[in-house]
Parts: sequence; structure tokens; C-alpha cells
Amino acid sequence: MAEAATGAVRVEKVRGRSALTRCFARYPLKLIAPSKVGPASCDAVWLYALTYGGGIVSGDTISCTVSVGDECTAAITTQASTKVYKAVDSKCSEQLLEARVGEDALLAVIPDPVTCFSTARYYQKQVFQVCANSNLVLVDWFTSGRYESGEKWDFSFYKSVNHIFLEDQPLFIDSVLLEQGSNCSIAERMQEYNVIAMVVLLGPKLRHIQDKMQEEVKRLMSGQLRPPTSGGSLYTMRSQPPQRPQQPPLVASCSLFGRTGTGVVARVAAVSTELVYSFLRHHLAALELFIGASPYAAS
Amino acid sequence: MESDSPVSKKSRLFHSVDCVMEEAPSTATGVSQSLHWTQWQILDSILPTGGFAHSYGLEAAMQSRMVSNQDDLRSFVIQVLENTGSLLLPFVYCSSKSPDVAAWVKLDQLLEATLTNEVGRKASASQGSALLRVAASVFTEIQVVQDLRRTFLGSKSVSFHHAPIFGFICGLVGFDSETAQRAYMFMTMRDVLSAATRLNLIGPLAASVLQHQVAPDAERMLQKWKDRDVAEASQTAPLLDAVQGCHAYMFSRLFCS
Repeated sequence: MAEAATGAVRVEKVRGRSALTRCFARYPLKLIAPSKVGPASCDAVWLYALTYGGGIVSGDTISCTVSVGDECTAAITTQASTKVYKAVDSKCSEQLLEARVGEDALLAVIPDPVTCFSTARYYQKQVFQVCANSNLVLVDWFTSGRYESGEKWDFSFYKSVNHIFLEDQPLFIDSVLLEQGSNCSIAERMQEYNVIAMVVLLGPKLRHIQDKMQEEVKRLMSGQLRPPTSGGSLYTMRSQPPQRPQQPPLVASCSLFGRTGTGVVARVAAVSTELVYSFLRHHLAALELFIGASPYAAS
Repeated sequence: MESDSPVSKKSRLFHSVDCVMEEAPSTATGVSQSLHWTQWQILDSILPTGGFAHSYGLEAAMQSRMVSNQDDLRSFVIQVLENTGSLLLPFVYCSSKSPDVAAWVKLDQLLEATLTNEVGRKASASQGSALLRVAASVFTEIQVVQDLRRTFLGSKSVSFHHAPIFGFICGLVGFDSETAQRAYMFMTMRDVLSAATRLNLIGPLAASVLQHQVAPDAERMLQKWKDRDVAEASQTAPLLDAVQGCHAYMFSRLFCS
């Protein structure tokens, strides 16, 4: 991947502060490193990953390597959702990220969602190499498409792979695949939901955020879940007209991962992008302490 | 495709009886006959592996109103089967193809990292441990099963996940890997439908009807996902994954997962 990479980033300590010592990008990727995202007292490098035209065309591959040195902090985000345009000759659009997070370092990958247009084909793979005391925030999310104009779950192929290795041992191996033409259409699988999101929080610095998120998600969902009173029973179905009971507009659940439980992953499904933005804004707000600004504050 | 393996087995059987060969025909017949008994026993719901303590996310799906009638149930079963095919069959396949202890350890550890949903991960580990315990008591003639259990019991480095243990045992008792994978799909469907009847979503007779109706879909999914490497394992039902994760949040529940 190294020679074909469209982007390469290195963050290292320079005179005691996190600094961008390498920042290379070529078409179709563009990297912008604004210096004034947070207050000057905050030691963090911010990077905006942009694409020409705001999306990825069929057949394009964006690959980027990121290295966050020991005790450094970096945040990578986008300016708006990443559009994946219609497939031409069933060619895939690809995004690849390889990142290394050093000792006691923090990397936050906090992009806007991926939006696949109808017939689009998209493949994404992100591999993270971490140490036992590295800290990682990873948000990976996608929408049904331009659902406000009626384009819902109409893409052809979506695959997102996220691997986290702790000293070469698999710590978190995640792969989501949605493909048309299987036994059950994507739209049927997703029911009324338009957004699927995953939030990974790993490392000792994020302990407080992990605990708070787990507790709040549990409280939020406990109130939404209840045994069916009559709707689910086969004995009442015959007499009553079928009426779909209201589903929760946002479903979320948290799980610990790693043998010692150092990581938390939240899985979220929601009917609208806005609901997920407010979920992320709320649960990641405390990252401001490390990266100098609250993620998704302007979204 | 479905009738291939039984037919070929039968013809092999006749063949060995008809022809006079160097090998004693009665032994070959005996082996093949006893394999049937073993296969049926492994698939029998009487085998105490604890499968019936799990709803595969159905209970959480009902409590969040994702599944509220028989049509929803059918779609749910198909999604669970598809997800089983894409995510777990590679583990069944790889461990049944070469039931070797070192390879099994690697598969178990990889699946531990792959099952990122805590509810599903615990369910998989408890079913796998129960299956190994039963297999070690039942198949006393298979030394490897005894050794595996003795070596790793209480070990913190392995979790005894269900799919690799199932494949491992199937491989040792002589299942071909396609049969092992079909058996895994069959058990998954059996357990989800059993949970559906106990959740009062469907009657036992209607569940049997549904099981028969969904079988061709399950076979199609088997053909699609069989014989794949674990590097390809993916989940295909992210909504149900988020919902299943809520299982522990439910105030009242019948199942462990």
C-alpha cells in the first residue's frame, strides 16, 4: 500500500508538542491541517480529509497511512458526508486507512457518514495497530443514501472492515457487509432505519467516557424495551387488524471487548442522520479535554 | 445438490457390499452406519448443549417491536441464517476441514475478537463449552477431544466458541465439511424457531411449517457462504446486531441471549 498511497500523515512530538511532521496527499485526496481548531493550550493535531467534489467516484481508491507517535494526539475528520457516486461498470470506490497509535497516544477518527448513492459499490478497510496504553476513538457510520429524496438502501454493495491489532494479536475484528441480491433485500433488513453507526472507544484515557456512555445507553434503551403486551401474541392477531407498533427511533447497545475489557463498542441504528449526530455530539463531548473541541459540534 | 451426499453414500455402500474387495465390506458398512447415528445424535435437540437458552436476538427484537408477527419472524429467521452463513460458517468450515488443536486455538481467538457483540459472544462461548463437555463425555473413543478439554479447561487464552468447537468435533467424528456447515445452519434455524414458540410468537405446528418453508433458503445461503476462509467472515445484519446487544438491558427476559 505504501507506494500506491494517496495520503501519508505522521504526527510526532516536536519541542514537547504534537506536530505534523509529514502530510502528503494526492488526487483524489486532500488533507487540510487547520491550526486553530482548539485553544492553543490544547496539544492536538487536527486533520480534515477532503475529496475533490465531496465524494468518491466509481473506480477510485483513496488510501492513507497515519502514524501517531508516542504521547501525541491527533483527530481526523471530514467537512461533510462522504458521497459514493453511482457505480460505472460495477467498479468499486475504495477507502483504505492504516494507522499506528503509539504509547499513551490518542487518535480520534471522527468523520461524517458515508452516503452511497443508488447502484454505488463501496469498500472500506481501516486497520489500527495499537499498544496496550494507546487510546483510540473510531466512529464509522453510513446512511441509506439520499433518503430524503426517496433513495433508500438502494446501493449495490457496501463493505466496511475495521481491524484493531494489539501487538499483532487481533483485538477487534469487525466486518459489515451489505449486498443487494441476497435472500432479503437491504431495505427489508433495515426496516424504517436509515443510519447505522459504530463507535469504538479504546484505552485508559477514555475510561470515563466509556463508563458514561455505557450507563446512559443502558438507561435510554431500558425504557424502550418491553415485552409485547398483546401485539406479539398469536392469539390476539386474528381478531385485531395488523398495526405495526412503534419502534424506537434510535436503537443503541454497548459491548465491552478485549480480554481485559479495555474497549467499548456502541452499535447504533437510527431513523435519521440528525439523531445519530446528536448521539455522537452528546457522548463524545468530553473528548474536548484531549482534542480541544467537541466532535460534531458544528454538524 | 441437496440429495448428492446421501445418494453417493448409499451407492458407495452398495458398491462395497456387491464387490469383493480387499477391505472387509462389513467394516466399511459399519463405519458408515455408525456415522449416521453419530450425525443424528449431534443434531438432536436432546443433546444438552444449552442451545435452547438462546433466542439469537429474537427476544430483544420482540421487545423493541422489530418482530411482532409471523411475517416478521420469517424475515428475522432468514436474516439470522444469512448472518450465520456469512459470519460463522467460515469458522465451522476451517475447523472441520482440519480438526487440529493449534489451528483451533487460532480460530477460537480470532472469533473472540470478531464477536464484538458481548451478548452474542457470551452465548457463543457458553454453547461451545457445553458442546465440548458433552462431546468429551459421549465420544470417549476420541482421544483428541479428551485432550483438548483437559489441556484448555480453565485456560484464559481460549473461550471455546461454538462454531469452531462444532466444526472441530464434526471433523473428528467424520462429517464432511459441507455436512458440518449444513448442520450448523440447521441447528441455528432449529434454535431460533424453538425460541419463537416459547416466546409465543408462533405455534409449534406453524413453526414446523415455517422450518420446512425456509429450508430451501437456508440451503441457498449454505451454497453461497460455504467453504470460505475466516478472513472473509462478515456480519450482514447490523440492525439486528444493535438490537441483540440490548438483550442485557431488558427488565424481564426468558433467554440468555
